[in-house]
Amino acid sequence: MRRRSFLLAPLLLPAFTAAKQPAVRYAAASRATRLAFPRDHGAHPDFRTEWWYVTGALDTAQGDAGFQLTFFRSRPGLAEDLASPIAASQILFAHAALTLPGKPLLHAERAGRANLGAGFSSADCDVHIGAWSMRRSGTGAAEQFRLKVADAAFGFDLQLAPTQPLLLQGENGWSQKGPRPELASHYVSWPQLQVAGNLTLDGRRQPAAGRAWFDHEWSSEVLAAGGVGWDWIGVNLDDGGALMAFRIRDAAGATLYAHAALRDAAGRLTQFGAGEVSFTPVRHWPSPRNGARYPVQMAIRCGPHTIETMPVQDAQEISAHRPLPVSYWEGLVKIRGTLSGRGYLELTGYAGALKL
Amino acid sequence: MSAPRWQLSWWLIRAQFQTRRTATALSMLAIALGVALGYAIHLINDAALADFSQAMKSVQGEPDALVAPQDSAGRVPLALINQLARDEAVALVVPVIETRVRIGELTVRLIGLDVFSAGLLMPDLLPRQGESIKGGGLFEDGMYASPALLARLQTKIGAGVTAMRGDARWSTHIAGDLPAARPDDLLLVADIARVQAHFGPADAVSEGRIRLAPGTKLTAWLNTWAGKLPPGITLRAAADNQARLSNISRAYRVNLNVLALVALLTGGFLVFATQLTAVAQRSTQFALLGVLGLSPRMRLMQVLFEGLAIGVPGAVIGLALGWAMAAAFTRLLGGDLGGGFFSGGTPAIVPELLPALGFFALGCAASLAGALYPAWLNRVQPLAQALKTGFAQRPPSGRDDALRPRAGKAIALALVAGAALALTRLPALFDLPLAGYGAIALVLVLGIAVAPLVTQMAFGAFARRELPAAQRIAVQNVMQAPLMAQVAASGLIVSFALTVSMVTMVASFRVALDQWLDVVLPAPYYVRSKGVPLPPQLLAALERPDAPFARVERMAAGALNLDPRRPTVAVLVRELDPANPGARLPFTGEILAAPAGAIPVWISEPMQELYRLKPGQTLRLPLLGREVEVFVGGVWRDYARQFGAVVIGATDYRALGGKFEATELALWPHQGGEAAARDWLAREASRYGIEMAEAGEIRALSLDIFDKSFAVTYALEAAAMLIGLFGLAVTLAASVWLRARELATLSALGFNRAMLTRAVMLEGALIAAIGLAVGLACGIAVGAILTHVVNPQAFHWRMELQIPWLQVLPGAALTLAAGIIASRFAALQATRLPAAQVLASAQ
Repeated sequence: MRRRSFLLAPLLLPAFTAAKQPAVRYAAASRATRLAFPRDHGAHPDFRTEWWYVTGALDTAQGDAGFQLTFFRSRPGLAEDLASPIAASQILFAHAALTLPGKPLLHAERAGRANLGAGFSSADCDVHIGAWSMRRSGTGAAEQFRLKVADAAFGFDLQLAPTQPLLLQGENGWSQKGPRPELASHYVSWPQLQVAGNLTLDGRRQPAAGRAWFDHEWSSEVLAAGGVGWDWIGVNLDDGGALMAFRIRDAAGATLYAHAALRDAAGRLTQFGAGEVSFTPVRHWPSPRNGARYPVQMAIRCGPHTIETMPVQDAQEISAHRPLPVSYWEGLVKIRGTLSGRGYLELTGYAGALKL
Repeated sequence: MSAPRWQLSWWLIRAQFQTRRTATALSMLAIALGVALGYAIHLINDAALADFSQAMKSVQGEPDALVAPQDSAGRVPLALINQLARDEAVALVVPVIETRVRIGELTVRLIGLDVFSAGLLMPDLLPRQGESIKGGGLFEDGMYASPALLARLQTKIGAGVTAMRGDARWSTHIAGDLPAARPDDLLLVADIARVQAHFGPADAVSEGRIRLAPGTKLTAWLNTWAGKLPPGITLRAAADNQARLSNISRAYRVNLNVLALVALLTGGFLVFATQLTAVAQRSTQFALLGVLGLSPRMRLMQVLFEGLAIGVPGAVIGLALGWAMAAAFTRLLGGDLGGGFFSGGTPAIVPELLPALGFFALGCAASLAGALYPAWLNRVQPLAQALKTGFAQRPPSGRDDALRPRAGKAIALALVAGAALALTRLPALFDLPLAGYGAIALVLVLGIAVAPLVTQMAFGAFARRELPAAQRIAVQNVMQAPLMAQVAASGLIVSFALTVSMVTMVASFRVALDQWLDVVLPAPYYVRSKGVPLPPQLLAALERPDAPFARVERMAAGALNLDPRRPTVAVLVRELDPANPGARLPFTGEILAAPAGAIPVWISEPMQELYRLKPGQTLRLPLLGREVEVFVGGVWRDYARQFGAVVIGATDYRALGGKFEATELALWPHQGGEAAARDWLAREASRYGIEMAEAGEIRALSLDIFDKSFAVTYALEAAAMLIGLFGLAVTLAASVWLRARELATLSALGFNRAMLTRAVMLEGALIAAIGLAVGLACGIAVGAILTHVVNPQAFHWRMELQIPWLQVLPGAALTLAAGIIASRFAALQATRLPAAQVLASAQ
């Protein structure tokens, strides 16, 4: 395992970093774009980076459990004009994780190229690598996402049913990520999804239920010059509301850009600009793996609201190898303060600058 | 047993070894040889198989299942790969495109990989980008070469490289190496899509390697896919590959092991001869010990102990010798025992405990078995008689052979002969000619049993004639064939029969091969490229009017997987006249014309036998990714491809949509233009790095390979003959010793030394002559079984029986001479006995 990643990394690193001055013209996120669904649930292969990201809290007899499944699509800008249907011009990778009370984090990953054991649809959310999949189907009351993951140690098969409308982040789904307007993504969230299905642990299946959060974001350029990573949080509030907040950091930890959105239980949306949002580390957790210090307990202010993240456990760092070695903290947290709920906190760029 | 008994036992063994040093040593050696041979074959084959599967593992990983086309010209559609990948029982599908490309003069395997999946299954193939290389890594243009290939091409990372296959070419650079490739592997690795873009196959891959999700039952899963696959594609357990691999050399190995068994048997026989004489010579000793209280059981055990005392060191020496032989063999010849099944580097010999113990036990068992009858005889010796008159060759209550009606004996022999004949009619068991081996054993038994009858009949008349006294004594001794003479003769019968049979089989095969080569090499010149299509420039040059050839025939070779557990069947696409395929193929029977519209194919003898086909039948072949119905127009002889071959006309192949990319050419120069043609070919061959050969060279090489592969058997024959001769000498000496009293009497009656010597030598000569005559007859019978039963069943090679009299008869004469010399040695011993003392001790 060690040798594999050692061999693979230098091989693929250039593939994902070489195209700084892209030979290909990527599409740019545009303020003028009007999103349409279900088409925009599907992939946008003209963009450089895209992800479909589901996190959720599950209620188990032992306490709070969390799950995560993310499918990433990357267009590295290579093999673009190669006359082969399996050219490595669209790469997919996926990370899945399970946080169980009192147990070490379970994590698995997959990677593949489109059309060769992996694939995506541009018409709807339907992405898979092998038998791992995330797929939307149905309309109205029958609408749902189906998530399937199976690995040696764990697996899940979950249905996610909407209880609320979609939440288009930023301006109708155009989400600015930096002071310059080119630094932006298209960003759609779907909070408060009702979860039903089952988990498989060590070959034994058990039912699972809870609340999840779906994010779909695509962009070609998001990190401002000097940006090394971001802190992000998405919370399903106990009262039925939803809070999303992020900031882009530089190497010194200073905020380059920030934004937050709060939709209350009644569906009223409030956006908070860069000046109204702040992230303040309260307690760090040092990763024994790489020494990165993650501010897992964080005080976050969005306009009038002040909250603090309380991780259900500290060790929720994900260390993935495919296609590239990357480490980040992605974990279930409880929220206390002026708002309360459960959500996922994402801390990237602490174990080396993030490369997109 | 109490301590003094052990001590007694030990003394007896020591005394026995000291008095019969040569005999004991040679018995040991024979056992050692048998063990060594069997063990060496086992070790070499084990090492070769391990080496081969290691190489396969390195390149293929260890998947649970494989999805592959049945036709080597076929492909696995991407859609199927994607479908399999989405199966929830599948953890991983690793698609691979594998092809052979020409780089300069070298033909190299090029493997197109998808690193995402291949990294998990075949880490040995993962490339490493050169430090000097800038750019986008594996997905960018570039190839990765194994260290062995870099050395071979005398190039380095960063250098340009051009790979060619037929019309297709890819000019790029070497972007890095394959740090984990095995040291001998000549490999190129590149991104699967890059390989596909340059060399195809479009929208498909060569193969998919599948790892199943934990907890999935392989067979059950394979069943869920049965019937859902497109035609021409197999989904099979990867373990089948292993079975296939060991099937490749199985028949060859079994044959060699049977030879080793024969050596072991001869060893056992020698123990028998030695122990029998030992028992006889010490009958007075044993009788005395018996009177002093050594129980009959102890007398039996003593002889068995002595047998073990030969067997144990023999087996130990055999193991050591076997290991040394294996090590030397693999170093000199590689792991294929001359069988040509494996090629490549030197496999490492790794002895394991269990097989070593097994072969050790075999050696001990052989010597114990040899000691069994002498031990029993020793037990039943009547003490008083033994003390008085010496050894009784037959148990006291025993039936006298002479008294048994000849008719009954003849019926018994006829039954054995009938059984042997019946066994030769049986088909192969587990693809092995086991019944044939049984028949061979029966023929040998028959030969030994028939020897006394032949002796009595042949010398009966002879003995009635007036002869000088010495000769008459010799003739009568042989005629009455006491046990000793019979033992001596049977040793010769077995060893000479085996030698004659091997020589006969090899000669028959060689003659057949020679004739076969005549038909399959009709053209004066041949050109061949290994696995890649011949360069189109060369083919174009041959079409030009100034090319110095009157006629050129092209051929392409592929492979079909008809049975996942069997090695593939060769598909030979040839430009031959469908109206007259007999001009190019050595048919064994009628050539049938295909009905209108049907596609004729001509199958080889091995294919006919392996797949139970008949000429005139239709057959569905998984050709070109679909089931194609073909008509079997005839069966031709093939000694080159043991696992079957099918020939299809190039025109028909093209009509089916196949791409006819020639890999081999047969060329006929213009009348009188041979020299020019040769020069022209030599020039072109060196330009494109392809092989050219004259028909004569190919023929010589084939025969040379043939001779080499039978080198092992020649060594065995020599060993068998030596053992047989030695058996003759030992038993003759013993029988002379037993007749010491008789000889002493003769000497007292006035026979001088020379006369006695002549009598014993004549006796030896007569025994040898009988042994050789019966051995010759048995040998021819066994040779016929080898040629007509064992070879067709084990290798699917059929041929006419040829008895090489010019080798066999001089061999027999030589053995006879050696036998006479051996009996002279025995005679000298006998005449050295002081007559007076012998007579005195006999009272």
